[in-house]
Amino acid sequence: MKKRWLLLASAFGALSMAALAQNKVQIEFWSWYLSPKFDPYLLGVIGEFQKANPNIEVKLVDKQDTMERDLQAAIALGKSPDVVNLWQDATAAAAQNNLLAPINDLTPMNQLQAQFWNNTLGMFIVDGKNYGYPWYGWTDQGVMAYNSEVLKKAGITKVPTTIGELLTASKLIKQRTGSYGWLPPVKDPNGASFLGQFYLEGLPLFANGKAAFNSGKHVALLQKFIDLMKGDFIPQDLLRKEAFQLNNEYYSQGKSAFIVGGAQALVRVKDANKDIYSKTKVVPAPLGAGGVQTGGSMSLVIPKASKNQKEAALFAMFMTNNKAQVQFAKLAGIVPTTKGAENDPDLKAANPNDALDVATSLVSGTGRFITPGWNPPKNTDAVYKNFNDNIEAAFLGAKTARQALSDAVAFWNANAK
Amino acid sequence: MKPKAATIFTAYLLLAPALVLMLVFTFYPVLYGAYLGFTKYTAANLGSNTPPTWIGLENFRTVLSDELFRIGLVNSLKYLIIVPILQIASLAVAVLVNKQLPGMAFFRAAYYIPVITSISLAAVMWDWVFTREGLLNWLLEFFKIIDPSGSFGWLLNPNTALWAIMLVTFWRGFGYYMVLYLGGLQSIPSELEEAALLDGANAWQRFWKITVPLMRPTILLCSLLSSLAAIRVLEEILVFTNGGPLNSTYTVLMYVYQKSFGLDFDYGVASAAGLLLAVVGFVLSYINFRITREDPPKREAKA
Amino acid sequence: MKTAPVKLIGVAANYLVLSLIALFAIFPFLWTLAISITDKTVASGVSIFDFPQSLFPKAITFNNFFEVYRVFGLEKYLLNSIIISSLTVIGTLVVSAMAAYPLSKMTFPGRDLIFGAMLATLVLPSETNFIVNVLSLNKMGLLGTYWGVVIPTIATAFGIFVMRQTYVAVPDSLLEAARMDGATEFQILWRIMVPLSRPALTALGIFTLVNTWNSYFWPSVALLGADNLQPLSVAMLKLKGQFNHDSFNVAAGAMIMMIPVLVVFIAAQRLFMRGLEGAVK
Repeated sequence: MKKRWLLLASAFGALSMAALAQNKVQIEFWSWYLSPKFDPYLLGVIGEFQKANPNIEVKLVDKQDTMERDLQAAIALGKSPDVVNLWQDATAAAAQNNLLAPINDLTPMNQLQAQFWNNTLGMFIVDGKNYGYPWYGWTDQGVMAYNSEVLKKAGITKVPTTIGELLTASKLIKQRTGSYGWLPPVKDPNGASFLGQFYLEGLPLFANGKAAFNSGKHVALLQKFIDLMKGDFIPQDLLRKEAFQLNNEYYSQGKSAFIVGGAQALVRVKDANKDIYSKTKVVPAPLGAGGVQTGGSMSLVIPKASKNQKEAALFAMFMTNNKAQVQFAKLAGIVPTTKGAENDPDLKAANPNDALDVATSLVSGTGRFITPGWNPPKNTDAVYKNFNDNIEAAFLGAKTARQALSDAVAFWNANAK
Repeated sequence: MKPKAATIFTAYLLLAPALVLMLVFTFYPVLYGAYLGFTKYTAANLGSNTPPTWIGLENFRTVLSDELFRIGLVNSLKYLIIVPILQIASLAVAVLVNKQLPGMAFFRAAYYIPVITSISLAAVMWDWVFTREGLLNWLLEFFKIIDPSGSFGWLLNPNTALWAIMLVTFWRGFGYYMVLYLGGLQSIPSELEEAALLDGANAWQRFWKITVPLMRPTILLCSLLSSLAAIRVLEEILVFTNGGPLNSTYTVLMYVYQKSFGLDFDYGVASAAGLLLAVVGFVLSYINFRITREDPPKREAKA
Repeated sequence: MKTAPVKLIGVAANYLVLSLIALFAIFPFLWTLAISITDKTVASGVSIFDFPQSLFPKAITFNNFFEVYRVFGLEKYLLNSIIISSLTVIGTLVVSAMAAYPLSKMTFPGRDLIFGAMLATLVLPSETNFIVNVLSLNKMGLLGTYWGVVIPTIATAFGIFVMRQTYVAVPDSLLEAARMDGATEFQILWRIMVPLSRPALTALGIFTLVNTWNSYFWPSVALLGADNLQPLSVAMLKLKGQFNHDSFNVAAGAMIMMIPVLVVFIAAQRLFMRGLEGAVK
């Protein structure tokens, strides 16, 4: 008797569950390193989305270090999340391995182009298909913060406006004060940072689809940086650690004079050393001969294994829309990747005496300029490792700059297929 | 002498929980991992939901012809130098803090702290030790061992980086093995020590004549664990040098790690590299067992 | 016989050496401690990377601890960590103490094979274990539960190896005597081997605790979809995000992770160091 009741109840339960499922879909959203600081913000946007789409429920999970492996496990289990926050290299790797759904199939191209700048959409194109909704971005140049006290001590009255001037000023500062000037990224552990230096100076990286960064000009530029390191005008630690980290560390100890980057770099200086923060002034960042900037953005992707791709696409569009990103920019100093952000009055109001406020207002409208400069090659890890090994060999004197670059080009063209 | 059926039954009864759990959660995945070494299994398989395909020795050829793997193997083998140093030091420290003197509880706890310190925190401090203006150079200059003009960053010099990282491994390890050795020392009946003391043996003689022979099983345990940890070193490398400079700290596990990490993994190649390293591990285990023989024949005859 | 002053110098030298090693061991700990109690609201002009100034905070506070505790709602995670760690430690000790006995003191067919196979797992590649184990847990319906985190980790070659080596050192004469008195193997294990190997059991318990307490990768996978069961170590990762980065809080978080283990270690020393003469006689 009891058994029959149970059976009936469960049948009924299943029925009503199915009925419910028809009008209420639950999707899972994995963010990356945003909790707990931005929980209120994310949940706020999710709340608005759910109000606009009462049939969809969004579950927020924040992943950190374990993101890629958790995603791997979830897909293997058939429990894939529906919307995932990745970055450029990971998006490319996942797309190449067929782990992601092309978003062109889910959101019409004209809608994507109406919401995002083309350059940001382009970062997540693999084999001609779009795989990522551009989310919050940043610029590598954006603004330059400088320690006004150190500049005064070194007798520098004109703040540098080009990378060339910045390097000259750095030399002077080191000679006169003992502090470093600027710590340029030459060999970050991830990516291929020296390509960025070529790009900024307007030197071509590729010719006819092949790597071609070994001309005389490329060699001369690399040699210039090698000489700077030899003379200890830039620290050798740049070969071992991320420039972003080192800049923060040195700057907040008063051991370097400039930070070039997004506004978020200043957040850490503010935490680490209030004294130096108060002496910090912010101006637009110097650019190289190319007159271009580099930068990047996060992506929201939809795994191919997601069972609710349609709803996921709706949510991804909502999470990345202009209103939500402008709100995020105000909180975190990020660069929105959306059209319209550059004219948003909310991002203009700046307290001219606060470094962070000035920085945010300077960078927030630059979404249309951010570009990494090049797309990651196939076989990314091996190709980048070889490139960085060669750059390192040149800096440590194990190879000449010319030899290092031609070795790197040869390996690139043989392996980046 | 043939064991009785009852003995066999009891033995397997005691082993049952461990065996069942290990079969499911250790042997099965490890064997599966080994099998992957002979297959093509990459992120693309996960994407297209296809099972691994058998390709024989292909992955091994890939690995063996990869110069990076060979560099890694040499560095992993070099890392073994840390083992005897670490083991002798740990045993000595264990003997020191095994005394009934006031304050020993503090020292034991202090020596264990590196074991529970997260590597990312330790990395910040050790960085400060190893940089050109760091503590190590300062000490060496203070004692006039090196000349300030010739100073360099220890982690940035291809000739010193691996040694510097070994020092960190030493730092993280000696408290760990000290605890294991203390466990062994505590089982040595104090009557033996006292008798030797009455015979007029000095501390040095007592250490070699009594402590070391009785500690053999523990020494085997520790040196084996330490050798396997040495050829599989990874964490320290990741936080300090990522394999540089000039690949002078690039180890086999770095190779395996880079092949199995992220969304572009190649588990076939990673497993093959792991299996090749396992061969080295087996040889090391065999050597360890040979050096620190426990005289099993005698004991077996008795039981 | 040594004279008193010589002995005194010996003891002093002993302590000097011990203290130097202690300094070598704990300097990162001291730095973390100093940062964690630094009052970050006081403008000091000293960066945390400024050595050695940062080792001596100008103003002391416990606010960093409260902030981390409050922002992350740590009580929930703390409870999860305690449950997961206790289950794992108890499970490991029981399983290892049992399995090591026949492997060290009994003769039966298959013994060397089993021991060899266990040792082999220490050497063989294990990079894919997590994915296989997650699939197994899913089939058993244990994915996303405390037991799912614990069960795959309690039977380890390491634990069995540690206990076996300790048992091997126990003189056979003790066991012979007990067997003559008619003791069963279970009684010998429980009455002789376990008490005699208490230091090793304690050591194994501490190692297991440290490992379980600090591991974040396995729990994050085994608890997929059950975020309310995640341990402290997983929550603590969130301290390091690009936007969250606050070195003072990171240091406080590290101390919160370390102190419980340290306290257990200090408490366990009693178990660990008590003489065993009584049991051996």
